[in-house]
Amino acid sequence: MSYFVQLVVDGLATGSVYGALALAIVLVNRSTGMINFSQGALAVLSTFVAYAVVQAGAPLLLGLLVAVAFAVVLGAFVERVVVRRFEGGDANTAVVATIGLLVLVSGIAGAIWSYDPRPFPSLFPNATLGLGGVFVSVRSIGTTVVIVAVMVLLQLLFRFTKLGLAMRAVADNPSSAALSGLPVSRLLMIGWGIAAGLGAVAGVLVAPQLFISPTMLDFTLVYALAAAILGGLDSPLGAVVAGWFIGVVENLAGAYVDVIGNDLKIAVPFAAMIVILALRPQGLFGRRTVVRV
Amino acid sequence: MSLLELQDVTASYGQGRVLHGISLSLAEHGATGILGANGAGKTTTLRAISGTVRTTGRILFDGRDISGLGPDRTARLGIAHVPEGRGTMAQLTVRDNLLVGAYQRRDRRQIATDVDYCLDLFPQLQARTGSPAAALSGGEQQMLAVARAFMAKPRLMLLDEASLGLAPSTARTVYDAIRRLRSETGLSMLVVEQNAVLAFSLVDDVTVLETGRVTVEGTASELMGMDSVRRAYLGG
Amino acid sequence: MPAFLTAGRLRAAAVAVVAVVLVLLPLVSSPYVNYQVTTMAVFAVALLGLNVVMGYAGQVSLGQSAFVGIGAYVAGYGTLNGWPVLLSFVVACLLPAVVGMLVALAAARLRGLALAMVTIALPIVGTPVAKRLSDVTGGSQGLTVSWLEPPSWVALADDQWRYYVVVLIALGVFLLTRNLVRGRVGRSFAIVRDNEAVALSMGISPYRTKVLAFTLASTIGGASGFLYLAVVQYTSPETLSFGTSINLVVAMVIGGTGSLVGAVLGAVYYVLVPVLAGQLDASRTALLSGAVLLLVLFVLPGGLVSLPRRVHQLLTARRRRSATTPPGAPDGQAGTPALTSDGVAP
Repeated sequence: MSYFVQLVVDGLATGSVYGALALAIVLVNRSTGMINFSQGALAVLSTFVAYAVVQAGAPLLLGLLVAVAFAVVLGAFVERVVVRRFEGGDANTAVVATIGLLVLVSGIAGAIWSYDPRPFPSLFPNATLGLGGVFVSVRSIGTTVVIVAVMVLLQLLFRFTKLGLAMRAVADNPSSAALSGLPVSRLLMIGWGIAAGLGAVAGVLVAPQLFISPTMLDFTLVYALAAAILGGLDSPLGAVVAGWFIGVVENLAGAYVDVIGNDLKIAVPFAAMIVILALRPQGLFGRRTVVRV
Repeated sequence: MSLLELQDVTASYGQGRVLHGISLSLAEHGATGILGANGAGKTTTLRAISGTVRTTGRILFDGRDISGLGPDRTARLGIAHVPEGRGTMAQLTVRDNLLVGAYQRRDRRQIATDVDYCLDLFPQLQARTGSPAAALSGGEQQMLAVARAFMAKPRLMLLDEASLGLAPSTARTVYDAIRRLRSETGLSMLVVEQNAVLAFSLVDDVTVLETGRVTVEGTASELMGMDSVRRAYLGG
Repeated sequence: MPAFLTAGRLRAAAVAVVAVVLVLLPLVSSPYVNYQVTTMAVFAVALLGLNVVMGYAGQVSLGQSAFVGIGAYVAGYGTLNGWPVLLSFVVACLLPAVVGMLVALAAARLRGLALAMVTIALPIVGTPVAKRLSDVTGGSQGLTVSWLEPPSWVALADDQWRYYVVVLIALGVFLLTRNLVRGRVGRSFAIVRDNEAVALSMGISPYRTKVLAFTLASTIGGASGFLYLAVVQYTSPETLSFGTSINLVVAMVIGGTGSLVGAVLGAVYYVLVPVLAGQLDASRTALLSGAVLLLVLFVLPGGLVSLPRRVHQLLTARRRRSATTPPGAPDGQAGTPALTSDGVAP
């Protein structure tokens, strides 16, 4: 029983990371209609910034804040300089463009920090918490709590601030938003910045477990994309829930289904994705009217 | 001095030129209707003013040349474009749509007053303030589009085919409200309308476009008197 | 028309020159150069397959490396188990074809990202599966073989013999594919790529067309896997990894999407860039690749193959621009040609 609970909690923690990256992908997709394959690479580069800050002797929390600030600027810069050119154009070209970004950004990280995985400090102590005979790791709980908190903050931003309203308006109908005087291009930049910042939080939280390297989030990105599709590309809530679902199911399947084991866990979200896409092409939480998928 | 003045304006989509040198002017508090067949360039004229199509020539708004400015810039200068097809934010609630319209304003108290004014102008929206725009009927969406444009407190409203796709009685309701809006606020308007009867009920002056050129200009009553105009646009 | 005749003659002359160079090259160059050129032929075939599905049929595929990998494993397994070379080749094409077709049958109804995701699954899931099936694949160690040595009656070194075999097969694959994409099948690909509704109205099933494109792409990918093993004599899970797939997409776009010559140029790029970057610093390959890809997307969307046309276009545009002054561009978002007017239009 304790083992089971531990598996579920660990699954929720990795699922939170998938969900955070998936949410970043959904935010970008809603505002610019693009799928950002470089979302993981941007997060890794930002996590390396946190790493550099920590190497310089500063506390990790400061590193996290610097990384998020860096990511916001980086995301906005990338949108303005590279991505804008491909918005509203051919969808395949847009996919290729973000793949180019993925290669370029991880190439930058590799050129500066090399491809060898390095240990990364954790925000949380490596301890377990006992609750009525059930033991769960503090790291897993901490990761989940931080990401849930960030998501709640984002939700508050979108629901209750003028900036959030403007971003929702641009995501909904950019041409009408412009006719109402909204600075559409600046809002798109901010949207990419927020998405990248979210990715940076996910990167810093998962780095202690994965060890930091330019390819650290390659698999996480694939999980996040699967979660974004499962949840429905236009549904932030769906992305998060699907992230947890994938995290928990792959953990349980890896532990209890012998054929799968640790190495084939990655097949689980794909199997789930293919089944669900066959039954409900718009995803679990997506709107049927959106036929982008 | 006129509020809006177009001098020899051309506009093109890609290689195709749609406007071939339009000139017209609109006085402050005035309202001009633009009539013409499909493809005459009515919508493009509005888009040239709000900056959503490539143009040449001069477009003076309050004495300032605004040609080349994008839609967000012209909107901030006081031009509110109600586009053809309404252009509401489908997933946003009615109230959020109105607040988006007021995005550039800082006077929070006055915004609340203006929201109330819009709901008074379009009572049909009162019960729907929490519903997403996509859930509204076509007529209600058109009302919302006009209300959202008004929320920017513009000096000039560009109104494109506000009766399109509406039942005749609904279209009349929409135009009654717009007429009231005009008389109560003195808002200047440039009105593109297929339904000439509705257009004549709202505007002082009329400009007729044919294939991207101005062919007839005059006051509404002058044009009502012209046989050619009556035959072409008023069905007799 | 004399101009046409001249162009035709030029073309024939160019083909003849290329043919002579291809025949003579291995005889005069070092084994290292032969190895590199042969590798280019291998990846030209892999990119050709990717081009069929992505360039000609317009369906994003991020799984091409899986088919190359399967082809290479089949060839390796066949060699180690004493299969005749021809049998290895046929199975190396057929098995990926079957896998590709099954995946396409399930996925071809999806569009855009969903399709891309299902194709990503191939290398992502394929890599651990390949490691797991160590009896067949040699696990993480991979398969090392020693085959395709020149027969005793041929006075050629290993590298020269393999060069001829690989280049000849590659040419055959290119010719077959050329006939296919220039014929009825190619037209149906283009119609489905440009507008599925039009395709339906013309009696072309987008679903069946896409399945066909994927199956072709995976068959060609399998052939290139066979050739890969012929040159490299070794394969491992790395061959079918996601990274390989990404690099193939990058090389294809740089070479020129939807172009046979583009596939060759892409392969030259694919093989040369790590070599060139390696002379500076091996860890810079990705950096260089990403930068080149974005540069190509910005200034040369048709890829290297469109370079002559693009240069011509820029020159004539400049001439025209200096002749007449441009109209003042109403551009709300400066420097965003893609977004002006149609991007903002209701």
